[in-house]
Amino acid sequence: MSESASFGRRIDALAEIFAFTTAAFARQGVSGALLVDVDFVLEELFTNIVKYSRGQAPVSIDIVAIPGGVEVTLTEPEADRFDVTEAPPVDITLPAVQRRPGGLGLHLIPRLVDSVQYGYSEGERCSRIVFRKTSASSPGAAGRNGEERC
Amino acid sequence: MLTMEGGAETPVVLSGRLDATQAAAAQAYLDRLHGIVTLDCSDLQYLSSAGLGVFLKTHKRLLGAGGRLRLTAVNRHLQDIFSYSGFDQILEIEPGR
Repeated sequence: MSESASFGRRIDALAEIFAFTTAAFARQGVSGALLVDVDFVLEELFTNIVKYSRGQAPVSIDIVAIPGGVEVTLTEPEADRFDVTEAPPVDITLPAVQRRPGGLGLHLIPRLVDSVQYGYSEGERCSRIVFRKTSASSPGAAGRNGEERC
Repeated sequence: MLTMEGGAETPVVLSGRLDATQAAAAQAYLDRLHGIVTLDCSDLQYLSSAGLGVFLKTHKRLLGAGGRLRLTAVNRHLQDIFSYSGFDQILEIEPGR
């Protein structure tokens, strides 16, 4: 059973998103131990949209239980193509004085989940990001990208 | 929701979730502190990159005046975030139980 909800493009919608993930996990019997990483990835993706995307339409999130975990889909209508799996690398070896905070969120995403896929539909101007998180996570899995339908 | 208590002569106790909606308030709180600032993270359940930005900005400011930021009682989730971001190499971090 998949659960879906839509959220306006504003930072304070994060509280609604976290309430939705918590409730969906409980209803679908997904381990609560996975919730914190799922919330992290959703926050990074959603805030990226709020800060940089030009669209206005709400962003939808779908959650479905899979064996040992969960699959989450974030769909952004009115989107420009931006492949989050190909974000510029972040040098995490720099000393503090040379560090800049930007880019860390996208750097961390593939390290916290099993897989991340990015798809973009040119015709519909719609992006879709699908990620999976299970109890048997093998962080660092490469993303897979392609043409999508929204 | 995030609450912060203490500071100056005592550790700052963080409770709850430090996400993008709480980052500005957390930054304003930490901006008042000087010297060696200790954050008690035993009740900090969640940290996003917005929170990392708060810690980095605070640590850099403190370093410039001879101080630093140190974190104690850091849970497993936070340890992962600090490790994957390299923050475990620039901040003094004491794991929790």
